[in-house]
Amino acid sequence: MQRIKFIDRMAQGKMSRRHMMQSAGAFGVGTLVLPHLANAAEVLTCLEWGGYDAADYFQSYVDKHGAQPNFSIFSGEEEALAKVRAGFAADVMHPCNYSVGRFVSAGLAVPLDTSRLSNWKDIFPILQAAEGVVENGDVVMAPADWGNSSIAYRPDLVDDDFKANPSWSIFYDDKYKGKVSMLDNELAIIIGAMVAGKSYDDVFDMSGDALAAAAKEWGTKAIDNSRFLWTDASELQQAMASGEIVAAYAWNDLIKNLRSDGIPVEYAVPKEGMFTWFCGLTLLNSGKADPALAYDFIDAWLSPETGKVLIEESGYGHANMKSFEISDPAQVEAMGITDPQGMMADTIVFRNPSDEVQTEHNRVWGDLKALKL
Amino acid sequence: MGFGLLAPALTIMVLMLLLPVMALVMLSFWSQSGFDIDRSFTLENYWKLIEPSDEPTVWFGIPFYLKYPIPVILMIKSLVMSLVATIAVIGLAYPMAYFVAFRVRGNKAFWIILLTIPFWTSYLLRVFSWKIVLGFNGAINSGLMYLGLIDAPLEFLLYNPTAVIITLAHSWVAFAVLPIYVSLEKIDRSLLEAAADLGDSRWQRFWRITLPLSAPGTIAASLLVFIPTVGDYVTPTLVGGPGGTMIGSLVQLLFLRQDNAPLGSAVSIAMMLVIAVLVALLLWAIGYRKMRARRS
Repeated sequence: MQRIKFIDRMAQGKMSRRHMMQSAGAFGVGTLVLPHLANAAEVLTCLEWGGYDAADYFQSYVDKHGAQPNFSIFSGEEEALAKVRAGFAADVMHPCNYSVGRFVSAGLAVPLDTSRLSNWKDIFPILQAAEGVVENGDVVMAPADWGNSSIAYRPDLVDDDFKANPSWSIFYDDKYKGKVSMLDNELAIIIGAMVAGKSYDDVFDMSGDALAAAAKEWGTKAIDNSRFLWTDASELQQAMASGEIVAAYAWNDLIKNLRSDGIPVEYAVPKEGMFTWFCGLTLLNSGKADPALAYDFIDAWLSPETGKVLIEESGYGHANMKSFEISDPAQVEAMGITDPQGMMADTIVFRNPSDEVQTEHNRVWGDLKALKL
Repeated sequence: MGFGLLAPALTIMVLMLLLPVMALVMLSFWSQSGFDIDRSFTLENYWKLIEPSDEPTVWFGIPFYLKYPIPVILMIKSLVMSLVATIAVIGLAYPMAYFVAFRVRGNKAFWIILLTIPFWTSYLLRVFSWKIVLGFNGAINSGLMYLGLIDAPLEFLLYNPTAVIITLAHSWVAFAVLPIYVSLEKIDRSLLEAAADLGDSRWQRFWRITLPLSAPGTIAASLLVFIPTVGDYVTPTLVGGPGGTMIGSLVQLLFLRQDNAPLGSAVSIAMMLVIAVLVALLLWAIGYRKMRARRS
């Protein structure tokens, strides 16, 4: 998140010339020094979500090894999967409960030896055994962060009707044409079917004619009405801050970031339901670095200190029970539900369709976007 | 023989251009099944691009009787967008080149350098700056609002095909100025004097001497802009929004999101062929007209 804050401050003109020069200088020096470090031994390479490449999230790894791993940022798991399959030598990837199965099917995920993770014993038991963490009896993902997907909206810019009765239908409502932003993901079709009254469990793996019909009716609408389909969280954040977007599909951290900038924003509990995801670290067999490095990195992510940063800076939950004990109680209070079990009971947990259906979803969504004039 | 001089360039061309293109051609005759690539020869990918269907997909009022109409539609859209961008580029670049070639006395190099200054920054930065200029609270919108000409920001500026065309036009102007400038510079000034002596007006001189003699440079400049912009991917991704996608976006989508590299390769190869045929047709048409002009 440091990167985003830096850009924000720069954009708002709050950054002094001296600070700017310092940062630029540090970057220049860093770029000069980095290749020499990289030559020393194979550096760990991680595929990460934007923002998670900040050292706060794996401080113990940096303390122990003296340097950060290499990062490659992705905006969706399918993109990361394609990159690894095309030959990108990543050691660690950060998938989620609904997407890790794809890496297992592709023969890329290596089962984790949990005895090599010192923080494993403090992970919520429900997460230790959850579908997506364990596949075919093997632990394939060390659960780290969890949170929600719902609608972030500007209470000063949306109608009272929506505020009284929030619904995912805002993305399909012509009244908000050009003022909303959906995630660039086939969820736009699935959520549309939910707006039409279906339950998530019935539609998350729809295919064939049902999918085509829903895509035509709901997917097209979401694409037409979205100002842009977002892939970059900082772009979305700027658009919501300026009021260009009044409502968007968003994760918890957007709310936290916007509020810390003093922008009024609310996180809706839509009548169709809000989503829960949990993500974690998966060891890949495509990497070149020593697996011990990967285990250190994963263990750092599971540490309570990382959890504290996640909770206080992003408003996400963490898989380590101790995180909640050492975090600022006021911040924990503000999160609402702090127990993944309660969260999963009250919300819709994302699910993973079969590989064939996922491929079909990717294709249908891609075609739909291409047809927009 | 001079092949020694050519060798470095030839080696690089073979390694960096010919081999990858060959790989792409090969890939386009294979097929994707699940996570694996089936290496048996098939024309299926190309058939998919033109497979007819009874039910038309209507796009922009035009019915496409195709089962998978997206590549064809995006191809047409990309060609039209690039064509408009190219015309805009030539429209901007020609007067600039004319000014430097005919109006500037002395120090022409200085002016050429001045023209290229914006291009010392990275392409990505220039595209991003257009985002700032055209954006919701960007330069144009805040300027107009400050002047009181509009109450609310104009939303049609960004995230549509027009934004892509504006950005492309600006990004490629410098590449067009140089070839046009060179061909204008080469024109023998005594021809212009002779025309003036024989009573041609300024406009007639331009129309009958300057323009035809600078045509090679102008055509080269158009091709230099048109060919790469058809397949551009960065610009539509950053300023295009949901409606500004081009054929390059489809290739990216097929390779990275839809996990169908063979079909993606077929689309790229088809795109290269279409552009090659169009360019060949254009050159042939120009040459043809010249011949006819000489005969009559």
